[in-house]
Amino acid sequence: MADDLQLARAAREAALATEGVRRLGTGRWAEAATYGPGDKVSGVVVEPDEVEIHIVVSYPLVGSIPALAQRVREKVSLIVGGRATTIVIDDLEVDQV
Amino acid sequence: MRVFNRIVVVLLLAGLTALGIAMIVYAFDMGDHRLANLPQAIGLSGASDGLNNFATNAESGSLNPLDVAVLAAIALVGLILLFLELKPPSPRLVRMQTGTYITRGAVENEAVTAAEEGPEVLESAVSVNVQRKPGAKVDIAASVKRGEDTGRLQTGVRDRVQRRLADVGVPVSNLKVRVVEADPRETKTRVN
Repeated sequence: MADDLQLARAAREAALATEGVRRLGTGRWAEAATYGPGDKVSGVVVEPDEVEIHIVVSYPLVGSIPALAQRVREKVSLIVGGRATTIVIDDLEVDQV
Repeated sequence: MRVFNRIVVVLLLAGLTALGIAMIVYAFDMGDHRLANLPQAIGLSGASDGLNNFATNAESGSLNPLDVAVLAAIALVGLILLFLELKPPSPRLVRMQTGTYITRGAVENEAVTAAEEGPEVLESAVSVNVQRKPGAKVDIAASVKRGEDTGRLQTGVRDRVQRRLADVGVPVSNLKVRVVEADPRETKTRVN
């Protein structure tokens, strides 16, 4: 459980460090998060064989969304090991000038 | 529909549990209870007689057409409920490519933004349907002032939405655009 939280935090940092990711989303219905004792990491759901990352994309886009998702996946893949990575675009937000 | 199926099953199981408890009470002749009196006790003596007659008719192969029709309807309803229960649930997210999804809300926002870029569009309503294959079905109703060239506006809205969604990378399998005339005093963008 603590390992899942650690992995979720690392995945969150990697996703946020990707150009074009404005912030992490929290899902549309139930909150997308990884829960641990007294703590949670929003925007990343760690499952035994999959990691789901919810992102909010900056608009204007840097390339297309599939390309951005691929960049996030590449950064996160180093952290998640053999688990599949699913990227969910929760929203697009216009960058404030 | 799954919720409906669950309610049916819960009610059925609750009824069976109640009948089971009643059967135990009556089977052991607790108090003055006798199994033969159970239908009367629960006020279903008429139904019990009817069921007895029905079972007798079914065994002798002399069911009346109404009974056959009711049985066929029950079988049909059962098949429909079974099919709906076994059908995989509709996906909630629009698949862009393997492992990458976008929420319906995000697609709706993009389509609305693109549709309302044109000053002639007073407001727009977008509905996005998710499909199992990559892409989404997008249905747009754009409201314009009366007397506008709806054909030209429809093409304009379609082009803008297609371009915007293509820029974002959302595959669209079916894009429907309807242009409806509306009273500008009642739309989001008011025109005096």
